[in-house]
Amino acid sequence: MTLDYLWTGFSVALSWQNLLIGLVGCFLGTIIGALPAIGPINGIALLLPIAYTLGLPPESTMILLAAIYTGSEYGGRISSILLNVPGDAGAVMTALDGNPLARQGRAGEALMISGLSSFVGGIIGVVGLTLFAPFLASLAIGFGPAEYFVLMVFAFATLGSMVGSQPVKTLIGCVLGLMLATVGLDPTSGAYRFTFDSPELGDGIDFVVLVIGLFSISEAMLMLESHATGTSIVGKVGRTFVRWKDVVFTTGATLRGSIIGFVVGVLPGTGASVASAVSYTLEKRVSDRDGTFGKGDMRGLASPEAANNSCAAGAFVPMLTLGVPGSGTTAVMLGALMLYNIQPGPQLFAERPEIVGGLIASLYIGNVLLLLLNIPFVGIFSRLLLLPNWILVPGILVLSVVGVYSTHASVEAVLLMLGIGCMGWLLRKLGFDMAPIILGFVLGKVMEVNLRNALAISGGELSILFQSHISIILWVLAAFVAVGPWALQRWSRRRAARV
Amino acid sequence: MDAPQRPLAGSLSNRLAALALLVFSLIYGYAGSGIEYAFSSDPLGPRVFPVLLAAILALLSLIYLFVPGRSEAWPQGMVLMRCIALPALVLIAALLFEPIGFAGAMFVMTAGVGRIFGASWRASLIGGLVQAALWYLVFGYLLDVYLPVGELFAASRRG
Amino acid sequence: MNATFTKFALAGLVSALLAGGAVALPQKTECLAGAKPGGGFDVTCRLAANSLLAAKLIEQPMVVTYMEGGVGAIAYNHVVGKRAADPSLIVAASTGSALLLAQGKFGSHDENAVRWIGALGADYGVIVVSADSPYKTLKELSDAYGANPASFPIGGGGAVGSQDWMKAALIAKGAGQDPKKMRYVALEGGGAVLTSLEGGHIKIGAGDASEMVKHHLAGKVRILAVMSPERLTGDLANIPTTREQGYDFDWVIWRGYYTGAKVSDADYAAWTDAFGKLVQTPEFKAELAARGLFPYTLIGPAFDAKVKSDVLRFKTLAKEAGL
Repeated sequence: MTLDYLWTGFSVALSWQNLLIGLVGCFLGTIIGALPAIGPINGIALLLPIAYTLGLPPESTMILLAAIYTGSEYGGRISSILLNVPGDAGAVMTALDGNPLARQGRAGEALMISGLSSFVGGIIGVVGLTLFAPFLASLAIGFGPAEYFVLMVFAFATLGSMVGSQPVKTLIGCVLGLMLATVGLDPTSGAYRFTFDSPELGDGIDFVVLVIGLFSISEAMLMLESHATGTSIVGKVGRTFVRWKDVVFTTGATLRGSIIGFVVGVLPGTGASVASAVSYTLEKRVSDRDGTFGKGDMRGLASPEAANNSCAAGAFVPMLTLGVPGSGTTAVMLGALMLYNIQPGPQLFAERPEIVGGLIASLYIGNVLLLLLNIPFVGIFSRLLLLPNWILVPGILVLSVVGVYSTHASVEAVLLMLGIGCMGWLLRKLGFDMAPIILGFVLGKVMEVNLRNALAISGGELSILFQSHISIILWVLAAFVAVGPWALQRWSRRRAARV
Repeated sequence: MDAPQRPLAGSLSNRLAALALLVFSLIYGYAGSGIEYAFSSDPLGPRVFPVLLAAILALLSLIYLFVPGRSEAWPQGMVLMRCIALPALVLIAALLFEPIGFAGAMFVMTAGVGRIFGASWRASLIGGLVQAALWYLVFGYLLDVYLPVGELFAASRRG
Repeated sequence: MNATFTKFALAGLVSALLAGGAVALPQKTECLAGAKPGGGFDVTCRLAANSLLAAKLIEQPMVVTYMEGGVGAIAYNHVVGKRAADPSLIVAASTGSALLLAQGKFGSHDENAVRWIGALGADYGVIVVSADSPYKTLKELSDAYGANPASFPIGGGGAVGSQDWMKAALIAKGAGQDPKKMRYVALEGGGAVLTSLEGGHIKIGAGDASEMVKHHLAGKVRILAVMSPERLTGDLANIPTTREQGYDFDWVIWRGYYTGAKVSDADYAAWTDAFGKLVQTPEFKAELAARGLFPYTLIGPAFDAKVKSDVLRFKTLAKEAGL
């Protein structure tokens, strides 16, 4: 395939008008991503009618929407790192190592490094989109229920790395997450499970409600204790530039995260939360030799950030080539294309090069703009931590309440968040980690639905899980990830003993 | 791998938690086994997964009961009071959300939480006012998020 | 993403002043979509919002708001409970809403808890197979299915009891098979039905015409039958209907609107009048076509009767299917 459409695209996207639109979109997107109350879907839905009424040409609209989408993936990390309140679904894992860094007074560095890995992830994602889109689309089609199920088995196998010093608590957390995911309409039989006849619970526990409850409410309560006992949280933000040493240290993590994120992004059945979860747990498996992950390891920060940004680019593959959205956000963008009477699909590359090309070119340009935008942003945002707790904590709580209330416009959601938050506080005091709960929740739903769909296809025959090449490769990978590190360790120990 | 640390100070609360989880797994499993559905197109149906999870959790909580592990010390005295006051304030704000509106509820919450984080009465009241107004402007006007003004005010305005 | 409460509090005030004989629409109007942006309810709302403005039947843009949950159940309960008397509000609904009402999945409220204003367009169910499938007509497919149902996984974008499942059940019944024994795969939306067909994971797909037509034209799937009472025009003009092919079922997905039960007759009439004028305008016809919807107009009492007869019909269907 020639890349002519891309040159057309760059000439479209580099017009001063579209550059300005892209800059505005990147700025708005960063803000939208940083605020837990509104995610990229709402942000785009908010701006789409405005763009349409302004009479923007379709390529400019797509550039605006793509800029917002990319920007929000950058923005999500800001509140994760600074406040331990994930700004959006893809930024949950970022908090695990990002927030400890901020607490050590290294918020500036954390923001810079994660900004850089976001950039690398974003660019790798777009390059992948440019070069391999049609090929990957055909691979994505090969993923049926059985393959998605085995993919989830693989994801759970990487979880072995999460087992810390208290493995029982990690496993219990994971099962609790899986249980929380069963609440709501069963997507196969249409039965309501554990909803107690409440329509609010019909769609299950909203991810936003769970994450904000577990992280921000319990966080505020923990801060109260450390505040009262005199150990103030931060007070300094550290350097706001990147050290070459850190860049070298995180390069591997960033590259691995970018590739995993992109591949997961291409699959329509998974999203940024799965991408960042898998890349984080895998990175921990590969790199965490001294148990520094979760305590402020730069690699634990770089990996999920690179993943969620390249996942965002990957999600465009099914949208542009198959006309099937790869994520909630691309679903809205697909709607935007239809509004202009444009049918996505492979023919789009040939028929409307200015749109596909403009969109892809704007992803390149957007990532560069965002990297530049983020340098002043880091300085401004990290000052947040210098606010006294009596201003900062109420602010976090307002954001949490608004974020949750806006999902269903219901007070019940706020109450549920509060209940989950109190439970989270108890569990954290008891020495449980929050990450396994989140992982169980994110992966469990996809796993159960796809297992049952696979069995519905085969009429109960388990052999369907081992039929395709993709499944077999994934089983092998899962086995390798599960026992590989242990086997390697034994092998190297035996060798050491021999010497 | 390190040997599991001997249960020390935190073992009682851990054992209680293990018991609570055990009870929860039984209730969850019981409720899960009774999920009503007409029929399912897959051979497993909606009950198998929850029941399986309940069984796993029951097993894990038994292990947890006998190997309780470590936990942090619980807050005491004034700190404990504050730890209860914080969620209580959020609860009050949530209940006031629709009757008195976003700005009012957030004022109560931000001022109250500011106070338990050690601000003086004056500082927390002013801080509450400023935050309530600021966030109302940001979300209500700038971002157009749906927020209630409060039934009391709406009624008087309509009347 | 939503109008502030102030906006519709004011709208309430304005229309309260206008009430009693006036048949103008409120200054500020709102359409509530009971789902995320980008779905069918969103399309329905945008159809009304854009065409009413384009046809100059409203002066200010209609605000589209979202309240996700239970395929419209949350929005339904919200309107019944909190905004029953708000004349500025219309809410998107579809055949799916009637189906859920029939199954009692909208909570304790039934179809009489709101006022049904009108339907402005429709979509139709389609039966699709992948482009390389050996079956060219519904008859061929149905015979093959009847002979060996276990080798035909059917996919649709919804759980057992959903619209797509109902369509699949009708296909199974048409082939003389028990819908309960169907190898039905509940997928996440029409996009997943398409990729599963292309990837060979399912053999038959149930979907909506507006969504599948573009993939049909692109040569990725083949639409074997349109589940409409009459032959469609436009891109699907050469696809026979289910009835033409000798099967006694169809599936019409009307897209309409309701408002609160306590909205006055005058305000209700303002909406039905506006809709009546709207459907005549070229602006509306353009907006309808742009969204891939088909002309289908039922306004006021006619629509109300349609919703109620649908609910009754679905109750029988659900009972027959063993739900």
